[in-house]
Amino acid sequence: MVERSQQEVWKLTPWLVIVLLLGNFILMAFDAREIGSGRRVIRVWAQTGADFIQSPVTTVSSAVYNYFNSISSLRSAQSENDQLKQRVQELEVELKGNQDLVSENERLRSLLGLSEESKYKVLTARIIGRDPSVWFDSSIINRGSLDGIKLNMPVVTDGGLVGRVTAVGPLTSQIDLITRDKSGLGAVIGQIGESNALGVVSGTSKRDIVEMRYVSGSVVVEPGQTVYTTGQDGIYPAGLKVGEIVEVVSGSATTPHQIFIRPSARLGSMQEVGVLLYEPPPRQDFEKTLPNARKENTKQ
Amino acid sequence: MDNVKITVALIIAVLLQWTLRNVAEPFAYVDFPLIIVVYAALQRNALRAIFFGAFAGLAVDALSGGLLGANGFSKTLVAFVVSEIARRVYLDNLLLRIPVIAGACLLDDLVYYGVHRLLGQDPSGQVLVIVSYTLIGTTIAGTMIYIFLDYFLAERAKTRKREMFPTKRQTRRRNPIRLGK
Repeated sequence: MVERSQQEVWKLTPWLVIVLLLGNFILMAFDAREIGSGRRVIRVWAQTGADFIQSPVTTVSSAVYNYFNSISSLRSAQSENDQLKQRVQELEVELKGNQDLVSENERLRSLLGLSEESKYKVLTARIIGRDPSVWFDSSIINRGSLDGIKLNMPVVTDGGLVGRVTAVGPLTSQIDLITRDKSGLGAVIGQIGESNALGVVSGTSKRDIVEMRYVSGSVVVEPGQTVYTTGQDGIYPAGLKVGEIVEVVSGSATTPHQIFIRPSARLGSMQEVGVLLYEPPPRQDFEKTLPNARKENTKQ
Repeated sequence: MDNVKITVALIIAVLLQWTLRNVAEPFAYVDFPLIIVVYAALQRNALRAIFFGAFAGLAVDALSGGLLGANGFSKTLVAFVVSEIARRVYLDNLLLRIPVIAGACLLDDLVYYGVHRLLGQDPSGQVLVIVSYTLIGTTIAGTMIYIFLDYFLAERAKTRKREMFPTKRQTRRRNPIRLGK
């Protein structure tokens, strides 16, 4: 009797494997279609459930890490203290000068009748989890839709741009870094208006390097220059710092430069991030932007 | 009871995979659910191993940036292959299990990468580097975990071994020459 049941199991096993493999393949096919739309329902609710485990573990591990880090930092505390005091004095002088500039700016704006630019709020969040698969590098933060987070909101640190929100749950959200292969953002070398070196920054397979493409070969580009977002991609606002150029493979009049940038945000060691509660301005449909499009407000 | 223990081990492995990478980056190169799935497959319980592979893979995919179902696909396949090999080849020795876990890790990584490329997704990172580090990390961690699991889960095997090879009682021999005296 025991041998017969074992034989039945051996006959059943290949069919069960086929059913499970097929089921997983169908899940993958559906998920591959929905990656761009953001409707990753199973993933969102799994992250919400995992929050109750990841948050306590992160809290404990951060406390232990900070304790040992503070002990090792004591050795250089005295010299660092002296340097910081000097820096504070320099910053106080600089701050006074900036305050004078701000008040002058406000007076000039009021004279010209310019309305104040709208500022977007920053919501701080803590990273409670990393991607369990070594092949991907997404992160999970402890803020969700209940805190006002929406899909595609930019994520920054004090160093610069980190990435964007790609999945939102009630309590948690998933963020993809700018170093991901499929990522892209509109960027400019230098400040907007000062430079015409526009291009697209996309991730490479390395965590500490991103690549900027489509910059005209006739534009002068040098290592050390800073790259900022342009705001033209419809996701990131203008003026966010992306990083600094570390290597340039020069192009020509007919070929673009190949530019490699080191992100200014410390992507490998960040603990807290800020989510910009920023929604890009609505875009008109392409047909309505054509010169011969009928405009409803001028139609007779 | 063994089923309950190994199920608890699988749940702990999934929880470790969810949380340890945020504690220290090198833990990303150890695939804890795969280690438990291969251990279950080596117990010659194919059905249990295959279900473990499917559900553990989905649990890891749920928090990953990759395709949902990719880990389930690869781990189900690995569980089936290892259970079929364990059915035909003697693999109860720890030394023989080391190449098994290494081969399972390699197969899992290649299948995972392959299905992503098949569906137009590019996993980040250099393939050779990630596969090599994962192979080393999972094999070392797997060997240590198997020693631990064998100690806690193989009580029945120990009892059976004791019954098959009982310690010989030492009896005092009587001197036949003296008896006749």
